[in-house]
Amino acid sequence: MKANKKNKATPEQRREFLRTCGRVLAGGAVVSLFGFSFRDVAVWNTTSLWQIDPEKCTFCGRCETDCVLPTSAVKCMHAIKVCGFCDLCGGYYRANVKDLNTAAENLMCPTGAIERRFVEDPYFEYSINETLCNGCGKCAKGCNAFGNGSLYLQIKQELCKRCNECRIAQNCPSGAIRRVSPSEAYVLKGA
Amino acid sequence: MLVPMAIFAQHRFPQPDFESGYVYPERHYFTPAEPFWSYADVAMLVLLMGFVAWAVIRRQVRWPVILVSVISVAYFGFMRAACVCSIGGVQNVALGLVSSSYTIPLFVLLMFTLPIIFTLFFGRVFCAGVCPFGALQELVNVRNYRLSKTVTSVLGVFPWVYLGLAVLFAVTNSRFIICKFDPFVGIFRLGGELPLLLFGVALLVLSIFVGRPFCRFICPYGAILSLFSRVSFMRVKITKKECINCQLCHNACPVDAIRPPYENKVKESRSAGVNRILRYIILLPLVTVAGAVIMYMLSDRLSKVNSDVRLYDMVVQNETRPMEVQPLELQTFYGHGKTVEELAAEVAEINKAFRIWSIVIGAFIGLVIALTLIGLSTKRTRRFYEIDDANCVSCGRCFGYCPQNQLNKK
Repeated sequence: MKANKKNKATPEQRREFLRTCGRVLAGGAVVSLFGFSFRDVAVWNTTSLWQIDPEKCTFCGRCETDCVLPTSAVKCMHAIKVCGFCDLCGGYYRANVKDLNTAAENLMCPTGAIERRFVEDPYFEYSINETLCNGCGKCAKGCNAFGNGSLYLQIKQELCKRCNECRIAQNCPSGAIRRVSPSEAYVLKGA
Repeated sequence: MLVPMAIFAQHRFPQPDFESGYVYPERHYFTPAEPFWSYADVAMLVLLMGFVAWAVIRRQVRWPVILVSVISVAYFGFMRAACVCSIGGVQNVALGLVSSSYTIPLFVLLMFTLPIIFTLFFGRVFCAGVCPFGALQELVNVRNYRLSKTVTSVLGVFPWVYLGLAVLFAVTNSRFIICKFDPFVGIFRLGGELPLLLFGVALLVLSIFVGRPFCRFICPYGAILSLFSRVSFMRVKITKKECINCQLCHNACPVDAIRPPYENKVKESRSAGVNRILRYIILLPLVTVAGAVIMYMLSDRLSKVNSDVRLYDMVVQNETRPMEVQPLELQTFYGHGKTVEELAAEVAEINKAFRIWSIVIGAFIGLVIALTLIGLSTKRTRRFYEIDDANCVSCGRCFGYCPQNQLNKK
């Protein structure tokens, strides 16, 4: 009876043994997680940024409304090397306008963010005022339908909050928003 | 009926030949200083956790926890207000482990594992005040109304269910629900979806009177940390001297993690004990299997969270009875020229993944419920007030209440 008791572990010893087992398991889990993750060198890319793939974007207009920010981090960008410098710009004027003047009812942009400057006959240079742009993509849609497609939408990195899950990406009908590494922070068109 | 959209750049007009000597303007885009901020975040995380660990384990003082809470709310909360946080990192890690197309960035991996490593050594020092969510609740908590054991036990299962669902939706590449239903990020960003903002504010108001409702009853990362905290090398002790069973610490604990002394007077006979263990052995697999079966039956409904599955449903509906006004998803789908068969094959894969993972997650949830029940039915004799390592968040409130610690000072 006495010898039996000597061999028997006390509850404290038993608990300590279980804890040790647990520690080994827990440590093993952390180490194996690291080992498993480092099988891929891409792990060294410090973070993930969000960008729109201009090839896939359909300018549906959800970028304007679905960003977590009050004013979307998506802005219109202008690939000026692609632009045709047209006078009758599909991104600047609405379709089938009566007069080609700068009256607001003739212009595509709802916030007046597209500025144009006369270069030489018959060419006009277009630029985007990004503080006014709301990322609705109306101009980009017009430019793609009637012009060279030099206007496109892109996520501005200085505005983007880099949500772990981009809400626009979740609601994008064409799956155009993807993660990129900081070394290629912008997916530019015609660059 | 369906007009494919002009998606690709059309070179309709040639580039102009300027005669006036026009030069194309140079554009430089802002390059984010993300690497720097990632390192800063990791350094901050280690520093703050180390400080809390030193305070609660070596010195048994609370002021550093409050200081760290303020710093964390200011830095991680309002200043960075950015992803990825450790809680959401659960999903990135889960997705990274199963998906070949997604690799976990090192930064996210560190944000996820560093608090776990610290927990394994020092207990849940991350929860104490380094996590801005915990810190925010800690700072507003002034009064502790104790919840009944039934309430805490039932609600305490929810983090595990939430964790299970989050992993399920993450590994199937459907959604990051932890990020979607984050109640506090709207407060830190000073704006967001109204229902979530209201939920966050409600949680904060609640945490004035009840200690850390988010940490205890919602946070899935806290659930993971509680596992590691159970086996941590060093644990928080209320006092270095002997407990005098005064009950003051028990009343002070905001998360109900101090167990009172208990003398198990009921002497259980050997056969009754064997019977009890037998019942456990039957209950455990039974509840586990039940969980797996229930989740398997729900898997088809759960898979609707995936946007491709929803799109396929829409397409099928449209093919049988064409809609007059097509939603954007359908327009884009037909515009891209992917065939319905290709989509069907993809969706079949997703549904299959959902079925398999639902079984795993269901079994996991069942196991947690069974273990909770078993834990409630076992009784352990305690001579003194003891800290429950799984639930203790190292906030250090008990130190100041312990009269033995006060004697120490003089």
